[in-house]
Amino acid sequence: MMEVGRLCTKTAGRDAGKKCVIVEVLDEKFVMIDGETRRRKCNVKHLEPSTETIKLGKGASHQDVVKEFKKLGIEISETKPRQAKPKQRRTRSADRKKMALKEPKKEKAAPKKEQTPKAEKKETKLEKTLKEE
Amino acid sequence: MVQPSRRSRTLRRVHRRTPGSRTVLHFKKRKPAKAICSQCGKVLAGVPRERPYKMQRLPKTKKRPERPYGGRLCSACARRAIIASARKAQKTE
Repeated sequence: MMEVGRLCTKTAGRDAGKKCVIVEVLDEKFVMIDGETRRRKCNVKHLEPSTETIKLGKGASHQDVVKEFKKLGIEISETKPRQAKPKQRRTRSADRKKMALKEPKKEKAAPKKEQTPKAEKKETKLEKTLKEE
Repeated sequence: MVQPSRRSRTLRRVHRRTPGSRTVLHFKKRKPAKAICSQCGKVLAGVPRERPYKMQRLPKTKKRPERPYGGRLCSACARRAIIASARKAQKTE
């Protein structure tokens, strides 16, 4: 029952209820799974096999599995670990005052008003229809 | 004597050590009942037993296990339910 390409549902852990496929049989207890779940080693006891199988070559990559799942109508959303944002250092108000003393404030130049040519008036629908008539 | 209203055991007593290393008695509201499995009545693991104001402060992932039926069914009942639904889906296909 537990051979490469067998579709299963995971029944334990945070991936419980998600569909996966056996990619590799490690020993009689453990298999390597991939699919909606993360690609990981899994105890056979934690899988509920289905009657369906997928044709998978030996050492199928995650991309191959994604392709095969798409054929079955199961979209796998790729989740990348979030990258931590660089922390912004908080400056104390005293420090900020010092900084302000060192660097005199630049005087803001008044923004010049540029005269943009007015866009030509667009013909309204009513006017169009009147012209056509 | 304690305040008459505090003589009843409605509030639980908590011993707190103060910064001056004195132990004082605090009166706090009791915690709600432990979360149980809605199918077998087993006490659920991974669900904290806190008053609502503390539960509100916790992130969602710390309030219940991250699996289907997490925080409702115990792991054994959840597994049974997931297997049953998988087999049912198979029959209908």
